[in-house]
Amino acid sequence: MTVSGEVGLQHVSWWGRRTLAQRRQLAGVCFAAPAVALVVALIAIPIGQAVYYSMTNWDGITATWIGPSTWSQAFHNPTLWQALENNAKLLIAVPFALGIPLAIAVLLHQRVAGWRIFRSIYFLPTAISWVVLGLVAEQFFAYGGTLNSIIHHLGLSSVTTNLLGQESTALLALGITFVFTMIGTNTMLFLTGMATLDPSLEEAARVDGAGRWRIFVSVMLPHLKRFIQLAFVLTVVSAFSALFSLIFVMTGGGPGYATTTLEFLVYQTGFQQGQFGTAALYGLILFIIMALVGIVQLRLIGSNE
Amino acid sequence: MTALAEPEVPVFADDDAPSPKRRVTPFRVVLFALMVGVAIVMLYPFWVMVTVSIKSEQQYLSGHGFSLDSWKTLTQVLPVGQQVLNSTVICAMSILVILIVGMSAGFAFAKLRFKMSNLVFLAVVSAMMIPLQAILMPEFVNVTKVGLTNGYFGAVLVYAALGTPFSTFLFATYFRGVPDELIEAGIVDGLGYFGVVRRLILPIAVPAIATVTVLQFIQIWDDLLVGLLFIQDQSLRPITVGLAALASGRTTSIPQLMAGSLISAIPAMVVYLGFQRYLVRGLTMGISK
Repeated sequence: MTVSGEVGLQHVSWWGRRTLAQRRQLAGVCFAAPAVALVVALIAIPIGQAVYYSMTNWDGITATWIGPSTWSQAFHNPTLWQALENNAKLLIAVPFALGIPLAIAVLLHQRVAGWRIFRSIYFLPTAISWVVLGLVAEQFFAYGGTLNSIIHHLGLSSVTTNLLGQESTALLALGITFVFTMIGTNTMLFLTGMATLDPSLEEAARVDGAGRWRIFVSVMLPHLKRFIQLAFVLTVVSAFSALFSLIFVMTGGGPGYATTTLEFLVYQTGFQQGQFGTAALYGLILFIIMALVGIVQLRLIGSNE
Repeated sequence: MTALAEPEVPVFADDDAPSPKRRVTPFRVVLFALMVGVAIVMLYPFWVMVTVSIKSEQQYLSGHGFSLDSWKTLTQVLPVGQQVLNSTVICAMSILVILIVGMSAGFAFAKLRFKMSNLVFLAVVSAMMIPLQAILMPEFVNVTKVGLTNGYFGAVLVYAALGTPFSTFLFATYFRGVPDELIEAGIVDGLGYFGVVRRLILPIAVPAIATVTVLQFIQIWDDLLVGLLFIQDQSLRPITVGLAALASGRTTSIPQLMAGSLISAIPAMVVYLGFQRYLVRGLTMGISK
């Protein structure tokens, strides 16, 4: 009797649990649906469309099928190579966009008088639109701008720069501006990392006779590894996909194509030349590059765990 | 992760602790001087915006004198009031969608596991890596075709879609720390799943809501590309688009441009200074487990 009673109870509770689980599942699907719908409709489907349209001649209204040959043709376009080259050159800015914030974070970490105020000041430009920072940078690099007056004050009145106006130097000016715009965010990341470091570790190293540099290299840097990786990925992603505002207001991609990066080439090809198909193709190349960066990021994170 | 999943990075943890009294050494004087140097560089944009905007066009060109002319005539070239309002409306609507959609999905993925929910979660979150430029052309044509570029909604939808993956990730990470018992208790008490979210989840999610709001506010307020392309009606333009358009004009007055820039920068700076710690928390979300 007791045995059958137990079986009966189990039977009831099994059903009870099952319906509850089913209800939970249904609720889960419903709650997740809006987010999934948004991402599918506005991100996933457009990627599929981009693949199709990249093989067509498309002006935004009518598309004529051409085929995969558009891809090989695209890579014969010197402008695409110029854009990719500009992207590659901008990657040279990445070590600076990491190194300078690291140095600033170390400075702040020394807790010199007034460091909290300095911290707020250093982070302030992070809040400002890159449209505005680009406009300011234009003032800085302009012919009659701050850079030239600094140079003249240093007694080099014969030297007058016009970085943004020359093909050979415009990208340098863009790169410098990019480094500036990344300082706040990356400093913040590093400082956060340093705040998680147990001060007794530093103290122990000091007691053991380690100098400041040694403490930095042996204690601080290993501890900051994850934060540096995150900052690295953020910076690389920004270099590829967040410079639109800066380029738009500072150079418009010029002179020539000197500051046209891949993301800006998508805009130019699509909206200034009306070649929607080719622009979609360029967008996909950007997508592939970003996917590779993403895979590297996952590898990096994976290697930590 | 421990209780309530608050990924407690001791962000600025020593803020409230008094700074230990340190002796003034030459080394620390050098450090201080360096800090001042960095501060000057970081304050440069504000210095330019302020000093240039308080000149008239002639004074700017000659380099001498100050006046409020550019501020007085600013609204003639840049409808700042309207554009700041546009930016505010677009930000508010987008963030609202991002919060609602992200919070409910984050809750679903963290607590209401369904078939393949992990896979779907991964797919949604990986969309974070896709920049708008990668899908810009089809996106633009789609949104235009359904007629949404005539108002705010096209831009709002695009911002919402771009912000949802991160928001979902952040809320899911946050909700993983909520004990299952809490939700079960709510269900047993007859709250239903909506009731659980509204009565139990919403109140404890406030820090995550603040983080998403601050990060998205700064991102959307400062953005140019979406506003530029997905809002065709000029009178609905956000301030960043207004500035960029003004800057690309032929007869742009630089002092007026700087005055407009300063106005556009102020709201984001206020939000930023007020909610700094939420911003840091959001940025380090992925690694502070």
